[in-house]
Amino acid sequence: MPRSPLHDLHVELGARFTNFSGHEMPLYYSSIRDEHLTVRRRVGLFDVSHMGNIRIHGKDDAELLSIATVEDARRIDVGMGQYTVILREDGTIIDDVIFLHLEDGFMMVPNAGRDEVVADWLRKVRDEHGLDVEVKNLSREFVILAIQGPKSRETLQKISSIDLSQLKLFSCLRGDFAGIECIVSRTGYTGELGYELQVEADKDVFHLFRSILEAGKDYGIKPIGLGARDSLRLEKCFILACNEFEGGRSPLEANLGFLINWDHDFIGKDALLRQKEEGVKEKLTYLRCVDKGVPRHGYDVEKDGKRIGRVSSGGLSPCLGVGIAMAYVNTEYRKVGDVVDIICRGKRVRAEIVKPPFVGKEC
Amino acid sequence: MSEIRDNLRYTKTHEWVDIRGKRARVGITDHAQKELTDIVFVELPEIGKEVKKGEEVCTIESVKSVEEIYSPLTGKIVAVNEDLADSPEKINKSPYDEGWLFEIEIQNEGEIDELLTPEDYKKIIS
Repeated sequence: MPRSPLHDLHVELGARFTNFSGHEMPLYYSSIRDEHLTVRRRVGLFDVSHMGNIRIHGKDDAELLSIATVEDARRIDVGMGQYTVILREDGTIIDDVIFLHLEDGFMMVPNAGRDEVVADWLRKVRDEHGLDVEVKNLSREFVILAIQGPKSRETLQKISSIDLSQLKLFSCLRGDFAGIECIVSRTGYTGELGYELQVEADKDVFHLFRSILEAGKDYGIKPIGLGARDSLRLEKCFILACNEFEGGRSPLEANLGFLINWDHDFIGKDALLRQKEEGVKEKLTYLRCVDKGVPRHGYDVEKDGKRIGRVSSGGLSPCLGVGIAMAYVNTEYRKVGDVVDIICRGKRVRAEIVKPPFVGKEC
Repeated sequence: MSEIRDNLRYTKTHEWVDIRGKRARVGITDHAQKELTDIVFVELPEIGKEVKKGEEVCTIESVKSVEEIYSPLTGKIVAVNEDLADSPEKINKSPYDEGWLFEIEIQNEGEIDELLTPEDYKKIIS
């Protein structure tokens, strides 16, 4: 199983590992709940090297991205990034990705285990449209670190000459951190102030990781595993591709309609236009438990004994202390404030339909 | 290192058993709570429920997973640790004392000998 280039350092730091989409990555170091609260209140450092890196560059790079994603990449300036989705012709999502527009082309970050599928798809689209652009899968050659939490800026500022306060949400540039050149973007998956660093794995990534931990020491920084990464994103209602896109979902079902730039042509557009007109049967819905219980992936959602949906992601919110879930629910039953049942291991757990996110600034 | 108490008996599924005359108190081991981490929810059995050895009696949920707890003995549930409903983290903090799960009235004393000794259990988790 592929491991992060930083694997030995994680072992040294006491990590417990998990298999996530075919990668052996840290699940937690001390405690998932403690790591979760560290990111919400202070700052945490994640190794997210299981995510992919695909370099897209050449004359038609922006053109390729505009056809293959729902974003018109030609309007994304150098120094900016964009969160978007790649669709099949039928409008279902292949993957959600971030692409960064760097001075020498684009760097796309697909999900763990999706890099080859995405790279192959991009090449296929390129060839079909006769575009002049190179698509290189560099996933094994890059380490990605995420520094997230209210103290992330102060932490990183200590080891960089870039003025991080100038880096706006989703903007990106190349810069030195602890003497190592990285691509830095103000992006993340926790809903907190945060940054992600992409760095070539043959650089001294151990030194970089240790330097960040040292820089954040005064703020209580901790290394954070994928356990807390999952609970952090769930509280903010962020999508986890392997859960929320399971079985084929369109961005309209996944509440990602806001990502679609309708003013350009892209793969899947016709299907989405049809869906928009006909309406979708199910939509992602946000459920906050009233009773005690922990909803989990795959549990049924019922209203008056009738099955109306299924949980795609669930868990106990460390900030709220109650069960929370995202579920695909029949659109006739999605009224905010209504109470439904989640069937948790044979038991009915009442949950209220709420507006996203589950956790705002209050944690 | 996980704590293993000399005065208790154990199961392969990481329950501990404290034989107290005709009753046995049951919980999960220190090793098990460390594996689970951050226990957030416990579903206890009903008092009076008859259970068979090896049968699922309750579930413990941690942030990351759901684990079944199996009855180490055949008998009737006679007490449950009600405190766990509001403070499931007691299992993490004190797995052998405050974090006990339930008590069972022993029906078949012969089953006691089938439980693991501390030495046997130590071998399993090392």
